[in-house]
Amino acid sequence: MVSRSGLALAGVDSGHCRRAHWWGGVPALLAVAVLPALAVSLHGQGQPVRVNGVRSVSFGTVFPGISKSVPRTDALNSGRFDIRAAAGSQLQLSFALPAAMTGPGGATMPLSFGGGDAGFSATQSVTSQVGFDPRVPFVATMGSPPARAAVFLGGTVTPLAAQPAGSYTGTITLTVVYFP
Amino acid sequence: MKHGLMQPSLALVALVVGLAPLAAGQSNSGSITATAVVQQPISVTGAVNLSFGNVFPGVPATVALTDAGAGRFDVAGQANAPVTMSFTALPGNLTFGANNMPVVFTAGFNTTNAAAGATPFTPGSGAATSLSGTGALFVFMGGTVTPAVNQAAGTYNGTITLQVTY
Repeated sequence: MVSRSGLALAGVDSGHCRRAHWWGGVPALLAVAVLPALAVSLHGQGQPVRVNGVRSVSFGTVFPGISKSVPRTDALNSGRFDIRAAAGSQLQLSFALPAAMTGPGGATMPLSFGGGDAGFSATQSVTSQVGFDPRVPFVATMGSPPARAAVFLGGTVTPLAAQPAGSYTGTITLTVVYFP
Repeated sequence: MKHGLMQPSLALVALVVGLAPLAAGQSNSGSITATAVVQQPISVTGAVNLSFGNVFPGVPATVALTDAGAGRFDVAGQANAPVTMSFTALPGNLTFGANNMPVVFTAGFNTTNAAAGATPFTPGSGAATSLSGTGALFVFMGGTVTPAVNQAAGTYNGTITLQVTY
């Protein structure tokens, strides 16, 4: 019965005991044939997990010598990544965070992130986050279907007293490793 | 019979085990930017000293904002940026050695270098305004000294410091 149960999972019914030996090897061959096909499918889609950067961390206007912070709960200015993955799956979130933003003539402006500057929301709600330290990997769990999560990010910019005027930018990358 | 059916079962186990490593550990990345706009640093220059000229014991002397002896600070910064002004040093006396001579101040600001059109404000309270379209602001200083009837003769000085912040 145990073996029949296994066949049932594969959707193959051996049915007759005399044919069991003949069929016995076929599913194995099918499995071998199916395995590469599934592998191609997974790699081809590349979508066990999707990550999209949807909003920049915006510090707006800052002044020389005056630090400015954006909290992760800022619905307008915090950074945001949207994540799609299977419901209930586990994700490891890792950031690549710049230590400075780059501005006119290559000028740099310090940018820092604190222990609570990142937040994970299984419901993509800026008001319902689990805070975490963006400087170290964090493991999160996707919610129930439709399983769309978001990661919010705040930070602090620290202009120097003689910071050259102009626009500054930096790139922040979130890498999500998917564990089904 | 059961023995024959075991083979596909094992094959299925191999299939499941084989799939797991394909899915596990797959990753994807997304990027955003951090953006900020740094305003031009603000500067404050003491351009013209406030001068009461010669004064006489027992006779108060006043310098209006529009007088030639009025003082002036020149401010430069980001165009149209709002700023606040306060005096971090505003003496109650001018001094000559150990001698004091009481003084009070008046002030006014204008986005052009014209004291006549300046908006007056109380120096001790400070003020808030915006820089001009070219990032300029001018702060004019006047005041009144009140020499005592026995005021010691000499040159009396004091320092006024204006702080302007975005």
